[in-house]
Amino acid sequence: MSLPLIVLGALLIASALGVVLAQNPIHSALCLVVNLVGVACVFAALDAHFLAMVQIIVYAGAIMVLVIFVLMLLTIKEEERRLAGLFQLIGAGCMGAFFVVVVSREALQQFPVEQRTGESVVGSVEAVGRLLYTNYLLPFEAAGILIMAALVGAAMLAKTSYPRSGDATSSGSAIEGEGK
Amino acid sequence: MIEMDYSAHYIILSVILFTIGAIGFVVRRNAIVAFMCLEIMLNAVNIAFVALSRRVGNLDGEIAVFFVMVVAAAEAAVGLAIIISVFRNLQSTETTDASQLRL
Repeated sequence: MSLPLIVLGALLIASALGVVLAQNPIHSALCLVVNLVGVACVFAALDAHFLAMVQIIVYAGAIMVLVIFVLMLLTIKEEERRLAGLFQLIGAGCMGAFFVVVVSREALQQFPVEQRTGESVVGSVEAVGRLLYTNYLLPFEAAGILIMAALVGAAMLAKTSYPRSGDATSSGSAIEGEGK
Repeated sequence: MIEMDYSAHYIILSVILFTIGAIGFVVRRNAIVAFMCLEIMLNAVNIAFVALSRRVGNLDGEIAVFFVMVVAAAEAAVGLAIIISVFRNLQSTETTDASQLRL
């Protein structure tokens, strides 16, 4: 492994930890931007140039803007120090450690570091695009329908006025009172 | 120049990132941060997909990553809309406050 890739891996892990550990959700979001751009760099290092560009445009561009807009709209108060119960933390730690150890050992056995044999593929825009419009044409069209449905669904979920309740604040407090 | 294959290292990186995301998803209570941990997990799987696609020597894995990204974008739109509508009803984005499974 070359030095830049090791640094990149360390950056990815550090920024992922930042997302989980930051108290303020906005700091989590900024760490996530670093993480997503780092993943794009990994894709570029693996010769997947098309995916590296799409990663930056879709994730770092579109999805993160959406997340930060929602954070801005919702005026979140800072989460208190206590992350979760002790039992929850121990469970999560055990799960994580087990998963990392087992899969890493398995990966090192199954895919040892060796000289590359197969012809090298480059995920250029042309190669990926050709495949998308030939072998994967039907899933590609279905993805378009999925995006359209998600768009309509998101607009319907987020719209303010419901037919049966008058204004949002009074119905909200009424529901809250009912919950007691 | 002899080209070496380091798929295992990329998979280990992917597993570490996935685990951080999974632990964050369990531990954090803010719904938006949980959503961001979900994105970390999806990206970790994408790294493994691309590394193995390169090792095997065809582009099918990269197509799979493309579709994962499409689904992630759709999921982001719908998920954030749900978080907004839950916030409108409960005045909170804590996952523990929305434990009633009703409004």
